[in-house]
Amino acid sequence: MSTSTGKLAGKVACITGGTRSIGRAMAEAFLAEGARVVINGRDEAKGRRALAELNAGDRADFYGGDAAKQSTVEGLIDFTIARFGQLDVCCLNSGGVQATAPVFQMSDEEWNLEVDWNLNHVFWGMRKSLQYMIPRQSGRIIVTSSVEGKLGKPGLPGYVATKHAVNGLVKSAAHEVGTLGITVNAILPGIIETDIVRETGPASAVAMGVGSYEALIEMFCSESSIKRPNRVEEVAAVAVLLASDAARNMTGCLFPVDGGTLPY
Amino acid sequence: MGTGGLGVKMGALDGRVACVTGGTRGIGLAIATAFLDEGAKVVINGRDAAKAQRTLAELGRGDQVHFIAGDVKKKDDCEAIVDGTVAHFGRIDILVANAGGAADFAPIAQLPDEPMQDALLWNFWHSFWVMRRAFNYMIPQQWGRIINISSVEGKVGKPGMSTYVAAKHAVNGLTKSAAKEVGTLGITVNALCPGVIETDIVKEGGAGAAAAMGLTYDQLLAQFAADSAIKRINEVEDVANVAVLLASDIGAGITGSLISIDGGTAPY
Repeated sequence: MSTSTGKLAGKVACITGGTRSIGRAMAEAFLAEGARVVINGRDEAKGRRALAELNAGDRADFYGGDAAKQSTVEGLIDFTIARFGQLDVCCLNSGGVQATAPVFQMSDEEWNLEVDWNLNHVFWGMRKSLQYMIPRQSGRIIVTSSVEGKLGKPGLPGYVATKHAVNGLVKSAAHEVGTLGITVNAILPGIIETDIVRETGPASAVAMGVGSYEALIEMFCSESSIKRPNRVEEVAAVAVLLASDAARNMTGCLFPVDGGTLPY
Repeated sequence: MGTGGLGVKMGALDGRVACVTGGTRGIGLAIATAFLDEGAKVVINGRDAAKAQRTLAELGRGDQVHFIAGDVKKKDDCEAIVDGTVAHFGRIDILVANAGGAADFAPIAQLPDEPMQDALLWNFWHSFWVMRRAFNYMIPQQWGRIINISSVEGKVGKPGMSTYVAAKHAVNGLTKSAAKEVGTLGITVNALCPGVIETDIVKEGGAGAAAAMGLTYDQLLAQFAADSAIKRINEVEDVANVAVLLASDIGAGITGSLISIDGGTAPY
């Protein structure tokens, strides 16, 4: 794909949690469509390795930091504008669970982590990028939510609650900036065996009372129509569409990529 | 569309055969055009052969596109459109049940049976008939894409439009059930739910719908725009772009979805 003819030629994107899995697939797809991209992650070495693998030369860069921290999210946006001169697409993608538990056993620490990581991170990134995008009357905000933003699973109260909240935030923001050339959408993937899910899945399986990581994955698959996990590339393809000029009239949309899991 | 290493055009739908009901104008024509641009062979359907010949001439795609006449309110025609696609191009990979609309709008208290039956035939029965027929081909080949063109009115309701609203809700229900039936067979079934678009069909039927709501046609469009976040109505290309994604290989993980293309109108 030529950098001058891709669907995102001339666009600049930043992606929280972009060194691996869904965010990484978004970065690859955006670069393939001609965009310049800044990826973010906590681990500097992993970020440098991701940049080398992306092999996009000076069209890609890395900004280190924890997306659960306001300074990281706002710093990423400032860095992207300084590095590439503009910001067209802000992908608020980072998120997950660490040590979840049923509500009656949920610690304040885990609850606060999930609120910061999944919800506040999206709010901070949205507010900061809108402050930049509104005067320019142009922009795309793409939030990686989850099927759990519409459903509920036992043992995942923080994740479910924050993903529901994110979906509400997306809808509200979409109406605020709908006439300003800015779209705000969420993608709702079903289960994907990302690195984060592999790392935290065994603990989640215990909290959810399903026994093993394999049983956890199988449970999610069985609730879908395709009876398999989704793939990061499937999410990235939707992100490209939403980021492109072609999607100027799609906003406030909760776009499922869940193999037929959600009832609505 | 990209360009391959040998300068050969590489489309997301190369080698695929698509059938689009109501494809001579409006949303269907935009979808057919986008599919052709991505390398698919496309059958377009419509009632009016003369109109279709003009459309084919304007498309200028030669053998890549073929017209099959038929009225989607008739079962035999629906089945002949699908069978005819296979007869002409050898297979059917993508079915877009796009034709639809409603006429003779009225509040339910004053609504005769006929407009309700007509709306169900046009939107719901048509979608069912072509889907069922297409499954006969898609299930054995373990690959298929069904895209039903529904509406924001498949998720919400408007007074005076019960015929259209009920028919599109039924299409959405059919979509979800079908997706679960064929989910492991390489076949996806999705519905696209556009906001109002000023297609020929809407221009023809809009005044009647507006009157049933106590509005003028312009007021009706203004109300749809006001309900959205973007405060303007949608365009046919909005729908075509999403249809290409769903129809392509990378769309394999999206099924049973009711995708809003409505500028932020539907609440879910």
